[in-house]
Amino acid sequence: MKQATGSPMSAAEDRELLRRLHKEGDVRAREHLVARHLPLVRSLARRYAGRGEPLEDIEQVGAIGLLKAIDRFELEREVSLATYATPNVVGEIKRHFRDKGWAIRVPRALQELNARMSSTIERLTSRLGRSPSIAEMASELGVTPEEVLEALEVGSAYTTLSLSAGPGGDDDGDPLESIGEEDTNFERTEHRASLEPALHHLPSREREILRMRFEEGLPQTQIAERVGLSQMHVSRLIRKSLAAMRDELD
Amino acid sequence: MPEHVTLEVPLDEAFVSVVRMIVSGVAERAELAFEDMDDLQLAVERLLAEAGHEGRASLSFELGAGYVRTRIGPLRERGLAEALQRLDRAPGQLTLAWVLDTVVDSYGVEESSGDGIVVRLEKLVGEPA
Repeated sequence: MKQATGSPMSAAEDRELLRRLHKEGDVRAREHLVARHLPLVRSLARRYAGRGEPLEDIEQVGAIGLLKAIDRFELEREVSLATYATPNVVGEIKRHFRDKGWAIRVPRALQELNARMSSTIERLTSRLGRSPSIAEMASELGVTPEEVLEALEVGSAYTTLSLSAGPGGDDDGDPLESIGEEDTNFERTEHRASLEPALHHLPSREREILRMRFEEGLPQTQIAERVGLSQMHVSRLIRKSLAAMRDELD
Repeated sequence: MPEHVTLEVPLDEAFVSVVRMIVSGVAERAELAFEDMDDLQLAVERLLAEAGHEGRASLSFELGAGYVRTRIGPLRERGLAEALQRLDRAPGQLTLAWVLDTVVDSYGVEESSGDGIVVRLEKLVGEPA
């Protein structure tokens, strides 16, 4: 994937994409901009790692800041998008931590347990060849099943979905669509067409995850493998996407 | 002999996380895999989201050999019973019936009276750990 580097050439490319987005309403240009600046988001998110929240969640929040920066950018500005986006991304991450009251309300031990949960599930799933039970997770982590459930619930309280991406339009060539192998199953293609209108307001990755879950009937573990996220993260994205779709109907 | 757990919960959104915790606790006792527990939680959440937020409902669990049967009701939201029976996958809509059909092994309306409906959600326990 092509990435922005900060060179004059890439800054010029950013400007051209911003022009297409803001002057012509080209949503594909927005997706290109997001893809080009995701490394910046990851770099900024890493500064906030180790505070009891999975890095991938912090990156998701940071990506929302990036999207806001892209949408608010005024072409008359003399600054580069990277310069303009940085405080937006950091601000979004800080607001997230503040809104969650994470460090204040949740005991540190539970924060740490939650942070270990994702990798534990992945390790056990790989070792056992199936989704682990809560008792197996507790045993692996050296805690009680109740503590595992508490830590899972703490994690589920997050709101990290990047729904502010807006309509994604056509999928072809979408740089945000971080899917793995392409499925050529004809039946799936047929269903895909039928579900598309329901998902069109979701970002492309969430659309693909919902398709895999509800059209192909894939379990979360397989979806997680395909999209390169943890199972817990996939679970949260499914939950939040369904809630957002429901809210849209109201 | 199956074990039974029954309690009454407000349908207010503020109690959804409480219901989640209860579902996860019961699922743990039934030895559901993490993934299946998550599916059951999602099924209950989606059902409650469609059921309106007024009043209270009974939430009961039956933990049998190889299954967890959850019953929720009475739910009075108009159109809910019809939505649950709409098994055909409506083009362009990720319906409640479609979601439930995916995440639980079976579901249905067990009772329907003037007071509302009782919905059954059943999840099978996979291979023993």
